[in-house]
Amino acid sequence: MAGKSGREISAVPEGGLKEKLLTWEGALILIFVAVNILGVIISPVYNATNVLREMPKYLAEAFMVFGMGYILVLGDIDISVGSIVCLSATMACFAGNAGLPFGVVVLVCVLTGLCCGMFNGLIATKFTELPTMIVTLGTQIVFRGIAEVSLGSGGSISMQNTEGLSLIAKKIGPFPISFFVLLIFAIVFITLLSKTTFGRKLYAIGSNQTAAKYAGINVQGSRFFCFSLLGFLSGVSALFLLSTLYGANTTTGNGFEMEVIAMCVFGGIATTGGKGNLIGGFIAAFIIFCLKIALGQRNINTQLILVIIGLMLIVSVVIPGLGSYFGAKKKSTTK
Amino acid sequence: MAEDIILELKGITKIFPGVKALNNVQFQLRRGEVHALMGENGAGKSTFIKVITGVHSAEEGHMYLNGQEVFFKGPLDAQEAGIAAVYQHPTSYPELSVTENIFMGHETVKGGIIQWREMNAKAQELLDSLDADFKATDEVGALSVAQQQMMEIAKALSTNAQIFILDEPTAALTANESEKLYGIVDKLREDGKSVIFISHRFEDMYRLASRVTVFRDSQYIGTYDVDGISNADLIKAMVGREITDMYPKQEIKLGEEMLRVEGMSRVGYFKDVSFDVKAGEIVGLTGLVGAGRTETIESVCGITKPDSGKVYLQGKPITIKNPSDAMEAGIILLPEDRQRQGLILSWGLGRNVTLPIQDVLANKGFNDEKKERELSKKHLEDVDTKAVTIFQPASSLSGGNQQKVVVAKALAQSHMKVVIMDEPTKGIDVGAKKEIYEIMGDLAKKGYGIIMISSEMPEIIGMCDRIFVMCNGRVSGCLDRSEVTQEKILELSMEQSGTKKGGAA
Amino acid sequence: MKKKSLWQTLTGSREMSLVAVLIVLLIVITILSPSFLSPTNISQIFRNNALTLLMAIGMLCVMLTAGIDISITSTLAFAGMTIGMLQKYDVIHNTFLLFLIGTGIGIVCGLLNGVIIAKAKVAPIICTMGFMYIWRGMAYVVSGNAWASGADVAGFSDFGKEGSPGPYIILIVAYVIFFIVMKWTRFGRKIYAVGSNAEAARISGINVDRTVISVYTIMGLLAGLAGVLSVSIYASAQPNMQYAKEMDVIAACVIGGVSMNGGRGSVAGTFLGALIIAIIAKALPLVGIDAIAQNLVKGIIILAVVILNVITQRMMDHQNLVRREM
Repeated sequence: MAGKSGREISAVPEGGLKEKLLTWEGALILIFVAVNILGVIISPVYNATNVLREMPKYLAEAFMVFGMGYILVLGDIDISVGSIVCLSATMACFAGNAGLPFGVVVLVCVLTGLCCGMFNGLIATKFTELPTMIVTLGTQIVFRGIAEVSLGSGGSISMQNTEGLSLIAKKIGPFPISFFVLLIFAIVFITLLSKTTFGRKLYAIGSNQTAAKYAGINVQGSRFFCFSLLGFLSGVSALFLLSTLYGANTTTGNGFEMEVIAMCVFGGIATTGGKGNLIGGFIAAFIIFCLKIALGQRNINTQLILVIIGLMLIVSVVIPGLGSYFGAKKKSTTK
Repeated sequence: MAEDIILELKGITKIFPGVKALNNVQFQLRRGEVHALMGENGAGKSTFIKVITGVHSAEEGHMYLNGQEVFFKGPLDAQEAGIAAVYQHPTSYPELSVTENIFMGHETVKGGIIQWREMNAKAQELLDSLDADFKATDEVGALSVAQQQMMEIAKALSTNAQIFILDEPTAALTANESEKLYGIVDKLREDGKSVIFISHRFEDMYRLASRVTVFRDSQYIGTYDVDGISNADLIKAMVGREITDMYPKQEIKLGEEMLRVEGMSRVGYFKDVSFDVKAGEIVGLTGLVGAGRTETIESVCGITKPDSGKVYLQGKPITIKNPSDAMEAGIILLPEDRQRQGLILSWGLGRNVTLPIQDVLANKGFNDEKKERELSKKHLEDVDTKAVTIFQPASSLSGGNQQKVVVAKALAQSHMKVVIMDEPTKGIDVGAKKEIYEIMGDLAKKGYGIIMISSEMPEIIGMCDRIFVMCNGRVSGCLDRSEVTQEKILELSMEQSGTKKGGAA
Repeated sequence: MKKKSLWQTLTGSREMSLVAVLIVLLIVITILSPSFLSPTNISQIFRNNALTLLMAIGMLCVMLTAGIDISITSTLAFAGMTIGMLQKYDVIHNTFLLFLIGTGIGIVCGLLNGVIIAKAKVAPIICTMGFMYIWRGMAYVVSGNAWASGADVAGFSDFGKEGSPGPYIILIVAYVIFFIVMKWTRFGRKIYAVGSNAEAARISGINVDRTVISVYTIMGLLAGLAGVLSVSIYASAQPNMQYAKEMDVIAACVIGGVSMNGGRGSVAGTFLGALIIAIIAKALPLVGIDAIAQNLVKGIIILAVVILNVITQRMMDHQNLVRREM
């Protein structure tokens, strides 16, 4: 049953090095360089040593970028991660203060996150009629609510035995341990999304959930997995956050969900699902960290950073819209 | 003969970024006539309609209404000029009431306040005149497709239009629902209104229109009297070549039983459905829309869970819990709604084709892109897809070619045994239809069992060896190729539903 | 056969079931604490939740177009902080003028949201997330690390102080206007049409972009107004005011039956949704639940309500299916 017209369809991949550099990831690298140059210009103390010294404070958040990236690729959203971080950190502190060995504390922290994520996933997959925005809005309040109730009237707890935590806060050479862990996570999760059938399935679900189901993909299973994964990663974030804060309170992790989503979106992952990749999100995270460090050093009103992050977010999503708008105009006039 | 021309368009050219959707097109509509507009998909019919109704503005050309040149800046201008359109896809507001859907954009307002009571009464009057079986205050989302179509017509009537444009109004309707629509159009004509009618169904044209205008490749081909043109000439005008033997049904020796479904039931959708297909056989599954055909098949393929029923593959019972089980067993479904269920429109053709089999091609979970490219290229070429590269998005293809990609996606699954095609030719043009039939014939020849769900009787009769007719969730009969007629199918389709039930759809 | 049973009336209309929930809630609370329904208590509930109640109307409009706006409390803070500072540094003390300025800031913020969402086709959650950062940051910038105290806003806070009718009048006027606009005017119905089916709305001759821009502008207006009201009611202005409270507003809408997919929801439902949350929050201490658990209970209620919705819908669908004869 060969093609009757004998028409041939090309299967040669397009695009060379030039196209690869002209992607949003390429632009992000340039922005990253620009931010660092800016840092050096505006702050006399902005140098490698200082940046690395301040880095651990921020690195913890970056772990969630991977999970959130997966969730966004699926076309879902999770705004409960800040609360998961709060609950995980709180539970870890309780475990530590109860005299449990550090290994158990780590386990409690990560498992709390995992359970929260699984709970999100369970509701999201059992009640598919509900937008995940609403589901995680509810669990966001519930998770933080549990933390608030556990913390009681004081509203805060600090880790009494900091031995274990200072262990993971250590550095190898100039780099904090969390940096290496992050790098390993990055390699694993970036590869998983871009090179494997699992990743391709996530894109399929995000692009057209119905068609994915008809193609035999386990849609709800994948969604459950990703929500659980994000919960787990939130637990990991909580752990590294503890290693810089040595305690938790009711506001721990406040606003993290928005920052993490902002990193992903700034990194080129569309909230509508099926588009973007984690490399962008990963670079975007570091752009925001470096910006925060640089502005922080200059004692620029820390809140101005909010304005800048917001502007970057808006500009990064408006530009592609403008591009296609003008592109369409250009084409219609030339043809 | 002094012709009474109500609407005339001359030299219309419409350009979309990169494509000329209409190229110097002309059209004439007489007062009180029903005028069919035909052509293959992508010929520019829908764009042309949207130019008339002011949704698109043309780059070049003139439009005359009652001899006066008019310019429409938007849909409202056209509405005020007395042009009403019923579009291909019902353009309803599912969350709102029928009344509101009918009067959206031209509500009855006194002192800025909407007069609901008055509007409800008027809407009910319109519905009654159409003999509709739903109320003006019903929520539209709860109506069936046919009822929504009826509502769209009521909406067009509510504007007191002189010109009615119906864009594929029968595409989603069954035979007897179409009959009802014909009655409405007849009534419009008797009232002296003019109607432009787009359809892929020849029976619509013969039944209704006095003249037909054909477009091809964005150009005007000609206008003919329906009585004065043969079917073959019309097809030639539409596709630019002659099509002989629309249904290339070959005599194939039937083999062993491939698939047998026994006593399949799902509450509210279908009950006690049994059918079977042999190797080399094409089995038709027909009946009215809402009879439970698609729902049955979806349960067979593991997309929905049936309450009871057994499935046997080559005589052995199998359990199918989800779509991947069905695929592994070799039961491949080509879903009804290719844009929503069959394809990922934003993806390249190649990735669409290999989506279900990427796990098979993959190397330890890593995608084997090279293998995927080669395989998808081969299968896309096999079904003769009109495409430039396997990387172009599926959305860039016409309906017929999209359907070919869906076919290629099914063929790529090497251990296929049974192919189930749900409305495989719905909304695609004559040329592509014939190619789909040829592929179907080839597959049967190779010894696969084929099940085709279709509402179009000519193709069911033309292609199938045996035809199972469903009615109201049950199989009401099975007809052999030798004995089948349109009348028999219709009789079985409507056996018990002589009196129309509201909940049937 | 067509006559609906009481149960069907209750579950059939969202507003009716909310009223039923509200009545049951009030009966239970009154039994536990007979003084709950005292006039002072009731007026306090409205005063303490005036901001949520006010912004819920705007959120209803936004959600009807299948959008969302999480920048509202930042807009609130920016507007509130600005008028706070205007008083602190004795630039303006005229109450009317301050209301005008605060609301004006809100309108500009909302307009920006609307234009970017409608014209640049940016997802509403992303666009408003960006502005959530920007306006909150601007509130801090305007504050210059200071805050407006009760003394600074002395004359102005009379408008919203305990016992003053100001906040109630604003609430009543806003709800009456929107109740009429959303149900009985073309503009209101256009919002429903756009959310229900934007493509169809375009064909009906509705300017979709303009409708989208106007709902975000309305949202901004109400958020700005809420900002001014907040300064007046709480007699202070801090840049972190009402932080993260946008979720309360969204929750009120969701409980009130507003669909996140657009096209479904009503002013009455929104009002009832906001009221139910407010009453539960107020009643918790009365039934012996610690105030610390307020958020936990609120979250559980939100989850329970949305899940219950799904379950009843499924049950209704299933019953309809069973009833089909075959």
